[in-house]
Amino acid sequence: MSIEQQYRTRAKELLSAGEVKMVIGYGAGTTAERRRPLFITSPDETERLVLDSACIANLSGYLVTEGLLSDEKRVAVFLRPEGIRALNVLAAEAQLDPLQVVIIGFDLPKGELKALQGSSVDDFTALLGALKESTPDVDGRELLEKIEKMSPEERFAFWQEEFSKCIKCYACRQACPMCYCRRCIVDSNQPQWVNTSSHTLGNFEWNIVRAFHLSGRCVECGNCDRACPVNIPLRLINRKMAQEVLDSFNHFAGTSKTQEPVLASFKKDDSETFIL
Amino acid sequence: MTKILFTDKLDSCVERWRSAGMTVIGPVQRANSSVYGAVKSASELDLNLVLTDRSIKELFFPQSEPMLRYAITKAEINTDEFLPPSGPRIIFGARACDASGLAIDDPLFGWDYKDEYWFQRRNESVIVTIACTKADEFCMCTSLKLSPDSTKGSDILLRPLENNKGWQVEELTDRGREAFKSVADLLQEGSDPAAATVTVPEKFNADACAEWLKNPENFESRFWKEISARCIGCGSCTYLCPTCHCFDIQDEGGSFEGIRRKNWDSCSFALFTMHTSGHNPRSTQSARWRQRIMHKFNYFPGKFSANSCSGCGRCTRECPVDMGITETLQEISKLSQ
Amino acid sequence: MKIVDRHDEAPGVRTMKLEFQDPADHELFKETYRTGMFGLYGVYGEGESTFCVASPETRKEYIECTFRESGRVTSALARADIGDLVTFRGPYGNRFPLEEFYGKNLLFIAGGIALPPTRSVIWSCLDQREKFGKVTIVYGARTVADLVYKHELEEWMQRDDVELVLAVDPGGESPDWKHRIGFVPTVLEEAAPSPDNCVAVLCGPPIMIKFTLISLKKLGFDESNVYTTLENRMKCGLGKCGRCNVGSIYVCKEGPVFTAEEVSRMPAADL
Repeated sequence: MSIEQQYRTRAKELLSAGEVKMVIGYGAGTTAERRRPLFITSPDETERLVLDSACIANLSGYLVTEGLLSDEKRVAVFLRPEGIRALNVLAAEAQLDPLQVVIIGFDLPKGELKALQGSSVDDFTALLGALKESTPDVDGRELLEKIEKMSPEERFAFWQEEFSKCIKCYACRQACPMCYCRRCIVDSNQPQWVNTSSHTLGNFEWNIVRAFHLSGRCVECGNCDRACPVNIPLRLINRKMAQEVLDSFNHFAGTSKTQEPVLASFKKDDSETFIL
Repeated sequence: MTKILFTDKLDSCVERWRSAGMTVIGPVQRANSSVYGAVKSASELDLNLVLTDRSIKELFFPQSEPMLRYAITKAEINTDEFLPPSGPRIIFGARACDASGLAIDDPLFGWDYKDEYWFQRRNESVIVTIACTKADEFCMCTSLKLSPDSTKGSDILLRPLENNKGWQVEELTDRGREAFKSVADLLQEGSDPAAATVTVPEKFNADACAEWLKNPENFESRFWKEISARCIGCGSCTYLCPTCHCFDIQDEGGSFEGIRRKNWDSCSFALFTMHTSGHNPRSTQSARWRQRIMHKFNYFPGKFSANSCSGCGRCTRECPVDMGITETLQEISKLSQ
Repeated sequence: MKIVDRHDEAPGVRTMKLEFQDPADHELFKETYRTGMFGLYGVYGEGESTFCVASPETRKEYIECTFRESGRVTSALARADIGDLVTFRGPYGNRFPLEEFYGKNLLFIAGGIALPPTRSVIWSCLDQREKFGKVTIVYGARTVADLVYKHELEEWMQRDDVELVLAVDPGGESPDWKHRIGFVPTVLEEAAPSPDNCVAVLCGPPIMIKFTLISLKKLGFDESNVYTTLENRMKCGLGKCGRCNVGSIYVCKEGPVFTAEEVSRMPAADL
């Protein structure tokens, strides 16, 4: 039986047994290459679930939809390792109770579909620990290396050109499972921290503020990058920040549901005395 | 016999227009994304795209437009108005959906109060549209009673030749004729056959959808929640849309000097309609998606006699969760049967 | 426009009296302003905010506006002092058709901070009192402190050609409160004004409007004789920016004044 069929069966069982009230997975999209998020609440509909190498999007962001988990009933969700990391970050930041989430895990090493054993975040601790040791490959590694070699001026010019395209549609923010703030800093106007206009200054402000907010939290799922309608390589910024956080603090976001947020926690023996 | 513009003469045309003081604009690649941008020579143009990522509207309604500068002293407030930058422009290589999008928005910007920022640019721009010989799965102009060679909103329509060596020239307006007078000697009379315009299949029945949308009973239909469940509430569909025109007005700067700007805004955003009291008439994403569809295919046509959609398909093409107008209207077409 | 006077009405609620700086602007205002219209009041650097012109069409030497300090712009307006300059764009929108009210009895119903738009119509009528029949005003607020235009309420109370019914929500009364206690719809039903030859003007928060309309119906009022104003968020005021759109209506152009009948044809969920 294919993994897709196995997982359809599992989804059906979970719904039939009343173990979960909803399965968040992937369905067929507008074109043959596209997949779209799909919400299944009836066992009869599980045949609509699709699982193949086109199922790239990280669906964990839907778990914090207002009211979804408030009735304490569980929800099953299709997640790749990055998605499971995201779930851990959301749990560590007290955005949800991971026990309410049943993971249907899969991975796509080199585009090949692979099933992952386990259903609760804790079942994946070893897998995520191993990921930390072998930094996952990211799309655009070549570009990243090219940027690293640039002089600060060249690098600034590169990002200036990229950010000049930004239309401030906030698709990056909306697609990001880590961007769950009820009121984003750009939507506050007392005071107006960030210019809302999408001119060069406003675009820099927005994208840099977002990069900082995601430092130590980003799980590098690539949702932002894929969502950007003007193809800004957003993932490279977050990749760079993640590497800095790993090098400086030995912190890899989302390895466990109790992991302390690296930039939002303080230890008494912290060398940075200025915090107090 | 028809007038023909051969590809190898295009660069001379660009030069001629530029030396006559016109800004020449067309589809170009900018940092891995395609837009309508100013060019110095024909070689910069990318005329093979199905469609640019970003629509033509930003040439007329920029994403951020300064309207006035204020400077405040103890005694007085001084303000300077920013007028839209003037100067003739020729937009070479527009697509029919983009050009019609502009014509669709003209009545909106012109009713009651005439938006001079829009109309100054409209009046100073010549739009040269190239009929499409290719399309992708997202194109849907024919479902909106338009076509890959619609003349709506264009001043010149070019039909690509079969051998891909140039275009047949159809002059549609005086403004178009005037702009092409200056390059008349670069055109040739010829009988080269035009390549077939691409066939874009009809994806939904717009009339049936309009009827369904008009029925007040359907306003509260469960359909709206179901169709928009995966919407993440970003504004990419509205910002890429050639006809979406909602905006915000923002003051930037300090208490003593700064600039008042008109910025794109989106009905997809929760804050768009939020009252200061906290009351929000459209507090859910499904209500916001319903508003977008109702506005485009019911309210707007009722007021300005055209759907606020020209079928470019960008909403679906770029949607992070594969939603869009096409799917919604296809589903409504089914419901209305 | 210059702030020539200002005073606090209730906690966080202030009235400003504004005078035109440019005589040409003032002339234009005098030609166009009719009761019901609104304007965009602003402070450069902070932006603009929409509220009604609270002064009547019978007094056009100045503009009065009353606002609650709640957002960025209203906070800036609240900081402005007498002698300071603020901006005004308008007047925009439609109006109450006063000519159609001639010879009729008038019933004004307002809740809380929504007295200002009603007050503009009230004075526009009282300044030409002979043209109208009986005038009844029903006004309620959450607490005694929240009642606005207290000095004018006193004045209306003294007049024998105006019947004023004042109310505060249960629990909002002070020890010396002599008037009604109850919510506006209830108080209205108790007062039971006759619908005969009567036009009602109703302004208040959405929830109050909803229940008051039910009460008016019970009393026999026809929806076409009930007028209200919609207070949607606006930016341009010119029928372009899309924000105030409810159904096919641009509130800034076709409103803010509507009959209850017109409102009932709008999609209720979007109000």
